[in-house]
Amino acid sequence: MTIITRRSLLAGAAAGVATLPFAHDAFAQGRLTVTSYGGTWEKAQREIYAPVFKSRNAGWDVDVQLGGPPQWLSQIEANASAPPIHVSLMPVELALAGGAKGLFEKISVDKVPNLADVPKPFVDMCEGWGVCVNYGAAVFGYHKERVKNPPKSYKELVERVAKGELRAALPGIGWAFTPTILLWPLAQAFGGGVDNVTPGFEAVKRMRPNSVFWNSVTEFPQLLQSGEADVGIWYDGRIWDAYDAGAKWLAPLNPEEGAAMIPASVVKVKNAPEIGWKYVDAMLDPEAQLKFAKLINYPITNSKVVFPPELRERFTPWEKTQLPPFGKIAAVIPEWVNRWNRELRG
Amino acid sequence: MPALAFLAALFFAALIDNGARSLVPPGGAPWFAYYQQLATDPFYLRALFETVALAFVTTLVCLIIGYPVAFYLVRHARAGRTLIIFLLISPLLTSIIMRTFGWRAIFARRGLLNASLQYLGLIERPLDILNSSASALIGMVHVLVPFMVLSIAAVLEKIDPRIEEAAEMLGASRLQTISRITFPLSLDGVASGAILVFMLAMGSFVTLLFLGGGSLQTFPLLIYQQFNTTRDFGMAATMSNVLMVLAALLMFIQLRLIRRSGVT
Repeated sequence: MTIITRRSLLAGAAAGVATLPFAHDAFAQGRLTVTSYGGTWEKAQREIYAPVFKSRNAGWDVDVQLGGPPQWLSQIEANASAPPIHVSLMPVELALAGGAKGLFEKISVDKVPNLADVPKPFVDMCEGWGVCVNYGAAVFGYHKERVKNPPKSYKELVERVAKGELRAALPGIGWAFTPTILLWPLAQAFGGGVDNVTPGFEAVKRMRPNSVFWNSVTEFPQLLQSGEADVGIWYDGRIWDAYDAGAKWLAPLNPEEGAAMIPASVVKVKNAPEIGWKYVDAMLDPEAQLKFAKLINYPITNSKVVFPPELRERFTPWEKTQLPPFGKIAAVIPEWVNRWNRELRG
Repeated sequence: MPALAFLAALFFAALIDNGARSLVPPGGAPWFAYYQQLATDPFYLRALFETVALAFVTTLVCLIIGYPVAFYLVRHARAGRTLIIFLLISPLLTSIIMRTFGWRAIFARRGLLNASLQYLGLIERPLDILNSSASALIGMVHVLVPFMVLSIAAVLEKIDPRIEEAAEMLGASRLQTISRITFPLSLDGVASGAILVFMLAMGSFVTLLFLGGGSLQTFPLLIYQQFNTTRDFGMAATMSNVLMVLAALLMFIQLRLIRRSGVT
């Protein structure tokens, strides 16, 4: 019979405690903090990308932090030496802004092997401060039952809304990306551009009496359903999400001039653990990307992925969109916002 | 000590940081450049006026609605008292986003209000009620009126009803009793309610963003914009400092006026 003495019990406990740090290392080397928008994006991070990362990097766990890019960028900027976020989704404008401030690291194939299958423009648009993982377009969304003949171009939209034939739901200045998805394409359509945004402002002014502005991205379907608007500008993937969720009266239309393409990029934060690159690689994994595209209705960027036909029909072809000059727009946003406040209020 | 450390870390440190940010404008501009812009640009002066005017009107409407409710609650509601208190507090238990979206559903062109008015034949075409200063004010009052009612009710409760009875026995009408006896004695509650509602209205953001539709441009909305869109933290810090100082100043003036009218 084995007798357990107090001395042997204490010795065993001490040995156990002494090995705890090593046991911790064996089972969990650390936690990686990644960011996500709410809703289906969160589901994608938790159920698609994080499992791929964890299956390839035993001992690492993933924390998903919800919120929005301006908030994430501020958190990183406030604590750049020990960033609370390691890998983050970013719109291209903020990826460029953060990169210019030295908050992100340059991406390369040796750090992210799946990058080899991503077309170069999706890296170039971020100037190497991350990579575009998926993209969408800010298309027209309209109420099929009330609008039998939807506007086919930005010019037609402006004319018909200005006349009062249609009411529009347009992104307001409370939405951070309004300069890119509204002012810039309207300026382009009426002969202007980044250097001359006046035609864009004039177009919004003409539509203003028959328009409402949405300042939260989830407002749009409610505005159409409640009769506040018949048509407007919203993201194609979100339109299909709403359609699948029961809004069968909602349809997207890519204007003739081409809707503004809105890519979502992922960045690895400077001073974050090097393993963050493995998470970026997981986000570019072809199998994971296909699952993501099926879940969220946005096309992804790994060229190895073959979309099923029903999915391909839904995607706005990138060659029929316009790629905004993100860097130039980012530089003039304060000026445009100031002008909006003074001339439009909305 | 823990409370002091908590305040120092989470309140004063943030205020100092905010103050410092507002004094470092970009491009080698003088340290007061942000403040100079706020003080001289008609756009910001108008935004400041709209912020204060909205808070003032909201407080006034809350007082007009809240005083009779508080009076009824304390003096007349017997069996239904718990129910009234529950009804008053229940909106506060709901998320502000849900409440605001509820108002949107009521005010929309195909919403409950327009549909009812059209059904009754009072209007031919739907009215544009949503995204106006009126819809923003209604949303604000809905959120803030419980604070006014509860503040006034707490003071009315302490007023001895025999004083009112004595006034009536000496020949005062009901209205005279309320205006000359009850109301002056309840000014403490009015003051607390007014200060509370005014301060909350000054900083209100979500209701204005979703119901105002840009009809009003207040400092909290502009601060959000500076943070979210233009990322000019210096300007945002300057606006929040001005808002805070103005709120403290107005609170001080309110207290002085109330004390002058005999209430401590």
